Amino acid sequence: MTAVLTGLRAWTVQRVSAVYVLFFFLTTLVWLAVHRPVSYAQWHAWVTSGGVRPAMMLFFAALLVHAWVGLRDVLLDYVKPLLIRAAALGALALGLAGLGGWAAQILISA
Amino acid sequence: MKFLIYRYNPETGTKPHMQAYDVTLQHGDHMLLDALMRLREQDDSLAFRKSCREGVCGSDAMNINGRNWLACITPLASLKEPVTLRPLPSFPVIRDLVVDMTRFFRHYHAIRPYVIDDEPPPERERLQTPAERSELDGLYECILCACCTGFCPSYWWNPDRYLGPAALLQAMRFIADSRDRATAERLEFLDDAYRLFRCRSIMNCTEVCPKHLNPNRAIDRIRMRMLKHEI
Amino acid sequence: MTTRSGAPYFLDLFQIRFPVGAVCSIAHRISGVILAVSVPLLIFALHRSLAGPEGYATVVTTLATVAGKAALVLLAWALGHHALAGVRHILKDMDVGASLGSARRTAWLALAGGGIIALVAAVLVL
Repeated sequence: MTAVLTGLRAWTVQRVSAVYVLFFFLTTLVWLAVHRPVSYAQWHAWVTSGGVRPAMMLFFAALLVHAWVGLRDVLLDYVKPLLIRAAALGALALGLAGLGGWAAQILISA
Repeated sequence: MKFLIYRYNPETGTKPHMQAYDVTLQHGDHMLLDALMRLREQDDSLAFRKSCREGVCGSDAMNINGRNWLACITPLASLKEPVTLRPLPSFPVIRDLVVDMTRFFRHYHAIRPYVIDDEPPPERERLQTPAERSELDGLYECILCACCTGFCPSYWWNPDRYLGPAALLQAMRFIADSRDRATAERLEFLDDAYRLFRCRSIMNCTEVCPKHLNPNRAIDRIRMRMLKHEI
Repeated sequence: MTTRSGAPYFLDLFQIRFPVGAVCSIAHRISGVILAVSVPLLIFALHRSLAGPEGYATVVTTLATVAGKAALVLLAWALGHHALAGVRHILKDMDVGASLGSARRTAWLALAGGGIIALVAAVLVL
């Protein structure tokens, strides 16, 4: 599991995803602030608009991949017993993948 | 001057404990090492390493009032009492303030700390321009005292697999050396989840280097080299 | 604490004097874990907010409760510190703020910035 993302790959992915996550979050924050108070109709229309929906899906993909690298680092630092660590990393991967699927489903069906 | 010093004797089998001392300093006792030598006049069972007494051999690295530094270049005037001395964090204690440096040196050897060039040797010297030589500044001066590695939380959590800032700084020293031909192998060796990449840039290493080196920056430079190498 | 060979070692974190960079770093990790744990909640809130006007209203009213406001302030700190410390890391990757003096300064800035963001959030929600 740790060999899947070699040191350099994981580090690069963490940086690249961070930049996109920050950019998208700030953009959303600014939009919310500029259009406040935001009604349901406005919010729904914006999220489902041409550019925003794929951008938000990419946001969740980047966020979950970023969380994977970060939480994996926490596990590699603190969880030593090999089996428990492998199980924890597996559970983490499944959990994050599940969250990704959920977010995708929400955005597709919105 | 009052001291609290970590004591452990493997022969007595008792657990490590802190022992209080009160030392009367003499004229000329300026550095912590002077006080420790004074202490041994009182209690010669106290064990610690020392040699050059001028900050170049690295023998007397220890945890002084919570931070790692060399005893011989720590002015007594700068220390709050009771001066609390402990061995380098996470290093196995042999006795009192003397720690086992085996693993530390194993990591150093793992990065192959020598110029590697299997080509036939040149007629005379392997030439290096002053500019090329300056690439080694900030890297060659390391005295392998282990203050940095002993203060790195990433090393504390994974001392067997993470190489630690000292070994990694020395790895950069050889990567940066224009005479070395094994850069690709060196970078490949470091590209796994543990050897270099446990580093979180906490920068504790740079804070406690008594030679004012920056191991974290050396590690960042290795990462940049790896990135360039990949592209 | 002893190694497998039986030798003791010193690692009492309360007896070690941590520099500001270490404080910034552990806060970066803690804030990251807080944010990671809140992602499922975030996705759930997104789901409800897009489900219909009632769902959207529920999200808004929940955020307006005392617990909701407290959560917003905590998340504001977590995101603020994590982002500022993250930017500090990326700049350092590019050799900006890599020296000890400047690294200490940027660590203080990240810590202070996170606090200020939390304060601003608290003022805005209260």
